[in-house]
Amino acid sequence: MKILLVEPDRLLARSYTQALQRAGHEVVVAVTAQTAIFEADTTAPDMVILELQLTRHSGIEFLYEFRTYSDWQNIPVIVVSHVPPTEFTDSWEILQNELGIVAYHYKPSVSLTKLVQIVNETNGKEWVTDDRKVADIS
Amino acid sequence: MKQLVTTGIVLSRTDYGEADRILTLLTPEQGKLRLMAKGVRRIKSKLAGGIELFSVSNITYIQGKREVGTLLSSRLLKHYGHIVEDINRTMLGYELIKQLNKATEDQPEAEYFDLLQQAFAALDDLAIDLGLIKLWFTAQLLRLDGHTPNLQTDITHQKLEIDKKYEFSYDDMAFINRPDGQFTADHIKVLRLLFSGNYPQILQQIISISDLIPQCLALLQTLRQLH
Repeated sequence: MKILLVEPDRLLARSYTQALQRAGHEVVVAVTAQTAIFEADTTAPDMVILELQLTRHSGIEFLYEFRTYSDWQNIPVIVVSHVPPTEFTDSWEILQNELGIVAYHYKPSVSLTKLVQIVNETNGKEWVTDDRKVADIS
Repeated sequence: MKQLVTTGIVLSRTDYGEADRILTLLTPEQGKLRLMAKGVRRIKSKLAGGIELFSVSNITYIQGKREVGTLLSSRLLKHYGHIVEDINRTMLGYELIKQLNKATEDQPEAEYFDLLQQAFAALDDLAIDLGLIKLWFTAQLLRLDGHTPNLQTDITHQKLEIDKKYEFSYDDMAFINRPDGQFTADHIKVLRLLFSGNYPQILQQIISISDLIPQCLALLQTLRQLH
């Protein structure tokens, strides 16, 4: 699978890339929302892994822009972010239905092994989040 | 063909072909404009910086015989940059744009342009509560659409009283006196201030307004759905 990894932390991006490559995936890295759009345009990814806290334009802005392109409507997006899911308790419907986020994971709880597992198990159709249900997160 | 100039706020952007975008802009004089922006899909386009969301731009374009004109150049006049510093503000900003786009025909009046600009200004002020902005915006859309509820008398044409409680009748667009009603004089005062066109910056100064927002917002959102 070709994965667009949008991650501003270059060291973390390198670790994620190596883990995903060992699992047989091809990875392209973008550190900002603007370059992510450019990379999506040139590499045609099958999946996007996205950190929401980016410089200048957030991952949310990237997603709104990304979804305005007709050929990118069905590309699944997995959020692996420092922003805890509790920030979005009123907005899950928008995240899922409008922005096409298929999984949301809180970065501190995502190991490299878990990242690969998340990617391999995400089929783009079912909403997945961390082990606890969103309602239980305090 | 004659070049035309206007100010505009981007409502939506959709792709067209490999390198072009169609922008729908809201302008104070021409209502909604659809313009083709050529080559902006590429990162190095000179137009990319002038057509950002949450911005007011000075637009130069050509309007031919077709429905979609051609964007020639764009210059950023005002960018509400604080909106994108907060993810929840960003999402509300997109939501308000979407609501206004849906609520307006092709030739909306200048008030809709002013409304969106005021909404951006409110979102750009990190001190203003997001729930209040949502409430205020919903009220303004209802007001501009001509769906202001009766905030002076109840359904029996009696003046609304300070010590009574009310429920709202959506059929009559007015309040009904009910001992167990959820709306009090404070709710009605806030609603009156909203429909008088007061800005969120003013409303934010009302003590305890955050306690009143949920019921008022639920009422106005239901009104929007019904109309």
